[in-house]
Amino acid sequence: MLALEPLRGLRVVASAGALDAAVWSGDAVTVVRFAPDEAFGIGSTAVDVDDPDAVVEAEAGFVGARLERFQVSVDLAAHTDWVLPDEPAILAQGKIAGVPVKLLTGEPALLITQAAYADELARRLDCIE
Amino acid sequence: MTDGRIVVDGRPVEFEAGDSIAIAVVRAGEVPGRGGALCLAGDCGNCLATVDGVAYVRTCQVAARPGTVIERHPAVGKPPLPTVDLRDLARVPAAVEISVNRLRTDVAIIGGGRSGSAAAREAEAAGRDVFVLDGRDGNEVAGIYPGPAIVARSWDETLEEMLHLEADEIVVATGAAEIHPVCPGSGLAGIVTARAAEQLTAAGIDLGRTVLVSRGPIRFEGDAAGRVAAVVSAGEDGAEVTEPCDTAIVDLGRAPRDLLARMTRDQGVTAVGSAADDHPLPPAPTSGVVCPCMGTTVDDLAGAWDKGYTELELLKRASWAGLGPCQGGACLPHVRAFIAARTGTVPDPFTARPAARQITLAEAAADTTIDAFRQTPLHDEHVALGARMDRFGGWWRPWHYGDVVGEYWAVREGVSIGDVSTLGKLIVSGPDVIEALERIYPCHVADIKVGRSRYALLLNERGHVMDDGMILRDAETRFTLTFTSGGAANAEMWIRDWVETWGLRVHVMDRTMSLAAINVTGPFAKELLGRLGLADPPRFLGHVRADIAGVPCHVMRLSFTGEAAFELHHPIDGSVQLWRALMSQGHDLGVRPHGLQALFGLRLEKGHVIVGMDTELDSTPRRLGMDWAVRMEKPAFIGRGSLERTARLDDERRWVGFAMDGEAPVEGSPIRSMSDSEIIGNVTGSWTSPLLGKALILGWQRYGRFDDRVEIDGREAVVTPTPFYDPEGLRARA
Repeated sequence: MLALEPLRGLRVVASAGALDAAVWSGDAVTVVRFAPDEAFGIGSTAVDVDDPDAVVEAEAGFVGARLERFQVSVDLAAHTDWVLPDEPAILAQGKIAGVPVKLLTGEPALLITQAAYADELARRLDCIE
Repeated sequence: MTDGRIVVDGRPVEFEAGDSIAIAVVRAGEVPGRGGALCLAGDCGNCLATVDGVAYVRTCQVAARPGTVIERHPAVGKPPLPTVDLRDLARVPAAVEISVNRLRTDVAIIGGGRSGSAAAREAEAAGRDVFVLDGRDGNEVAGIYPGPAIVARSWDETLEEMLHLEADEIVVATGAAEIHPVCPGSGLAGIVTARAAEQLTAAGIDLGRTVLVSRGPIRFEGDAAGRVAAVVSAGEDGAEVTEPCDTAIVDLGRAPRDLLARMTRDQGVTAVGSAADDHPLPPAPTSGVVCPCMGTTVDDLAGAWDKGYTELELLKRASWAGLGPCQGGACLPHVRAFIAARTGTVPDPFTARPAARQITLAEAAADTTIDAFRQTPLHDEHVALGARMDRFGGWWRPWHYGDVVGEYWAVREGVSIGDVSTLGKLIVSGPDVIEALERIYPCHVADIKVGRSRYALLLNERGHVMDDGMILRDAETRFTLTFTSGGAANAEMWIRDWVETWGLRVHVMDRTMSLAAINVTGPFAKELLGRLGLADPPRFLGHVRADIAGVPCHVMRLSFTGEAAFELHHPIDGSVQLWRALMSQGHDLGVRPHGLQALFGLRLEKGHVIVGMDTELDSTPRRLGMDWAVRMEKPAFIGRGSLERTARLDDERRWVGFAMDGEAPVEGSPIRSMSDSEIIGNVTGSWTSPLLGKALILGWQRYGRFDDRVEIDGREAVVTPTPFYDPEGLRARA
């Protein structure tokens, strides 16, 4: 069964420029840029972002799993209607097995979905240990 | 040399090695389909039968295997649909799981013949990846889709699966089909195309006396058994010539076998070889069946033509020619010739639709997934409490916990908690946020004070209600917006689109799935929350931040149930802790959870609308009796212009309340006029009120027939003002 672990950190919506220059604090922070104006700092405990109207919220609504290259290229690809990127550090967003996910490529890759979809995604990707 | 037996209409039929089902049936002296010219190439629908339970299978394309069960389609009408006796679920066939092999290539070539092989060599020489699909090699293409992409049924000795192949370029090299005859008697058995005759002869089947027909016959004459007995054609002098035969072999020319190429207009799809050749059309048909699949005759074509359907795609739709399983494989040349004879111009071929080969629903749906339904963080709590979970608004939600009326009374007289985590939740912030919200919402926004909130409708440009929810002011330039569970995603896109369109400086963060929410409602809600740390609860329509049972909450005071209610919005990882604390600390107050069914009854007593359930796509605030939520004195908001225009017109629809004695009618029940029993509306919500002791109904009155008394479920119902319960709203504000 796909082991999806809670991902905690800070989620920020701010101007793109402010997010580009944001300074994230925390242990082993992984910043996932959902959109030009939105980022999720996994593991972050504070963020310095130069935008007085930025929305900064503690985030616990996502879960994720680290996947090896073959799990992406074989197991995920078998459940994906679109071409998964090969290059590292690319954030792909779409449906895998019919569930909305985000995939941050790399070694390992990080598969992210909202906690509300966790059970469904794990069930549909039962090929992944 | 018998290789085995298949079963045709319950009778064993011997076949020989290499036989298709169609050839095996012909070998037995019978007809595989309903009659008509056999091409044995998969181009027409004249050999369709039900094979191992799958209807409309081209039997000429399926190898005969021992024990295969064939049922020929009825002479008239459709083959029966498979039926399932729901009283005997043990006999319901198990779901079929079919795997999908997803591949991509530079060039996909359909057809491994001469043209296809040449195209493959050329592409390979250019260094491109090539994938050749040919039914003879176990890759039968069902369709080409935009992309372009190919869906094929794929098999070998051990595996049968679906192939989904994406390609930069698709080459259709499927050759040419033989033209079928169109004349009286063309539906008789014993007519075969020239290539089919070659196949049958090669299979050792004696065709008896044969007549070769190389020009349009005048007619075929048949015997009492429905087999061809003679061909009547025009002689050299124009006189009719009758040639008796056992088999008529037609060789009337070719037409491009371009069905697959006609499925998409994608740039990357091309036909080559005979599939692309401009073959001459047959003479325009004058009588007989043009489209054997649909039974369209030349007279049908002429009738549609006379009504003005003179363009090929329109003629197709009006006459049904080409709508059947072979998608024009047999009739298209004749229909084009029919038009060309009348206009002097040969029309382009009509569009074809997948599937080019019969595939089952299981094959079509292989590896596709239904929408994923979300679970709230309290899902397991609900299940542990015995909830019946159901899908609603894109989520799994507790429908009830086994005692709907008990859940209802807990809200009305005690305290109850409900999982409303599914509500849409947005944070909007920025210097232009008030400007944006004033334009988006039909109510005033700027005058909402920090710490206060307002109910709001969300309208589209036509003034139709899209959604509803609350606007809560968190700070001078920051708001929380809530929406219905089912409408949240659409509302989020709506707001983002408008903010971007207007170029306003507003940040939007969707918190729908990051925050859970528990509704604590009932006369003892405040008492329960006080025990868990909410020392200073907000007054009605107020909201505060507070830790409750150690969980940081955004506490919103509002009411959908008609009782005092506090929505506790909180991070999802604190949800179970909060839920359990509420359940344990409220034990002596009789706290119990309520599900959607009780909630719908409670809201119905208050006459609250549920957008999407009570509303229709064109429900305006006026039709819903909710003009009070629209401030027309505002200079501009989305939908204002439409509301202003339509306000000058009489309206013929109203959403109103009804009351009647007895049990509530089912939702969706027709509402009838008492005078003439005409249906003048429908029930959108109903509830047998335990408190009021009668059936309460919300529903539509239409056609301007706003009768005070109506008939629902055979009983009299009386139009009744809403709210049915606590019309002054004193309990919600308590």
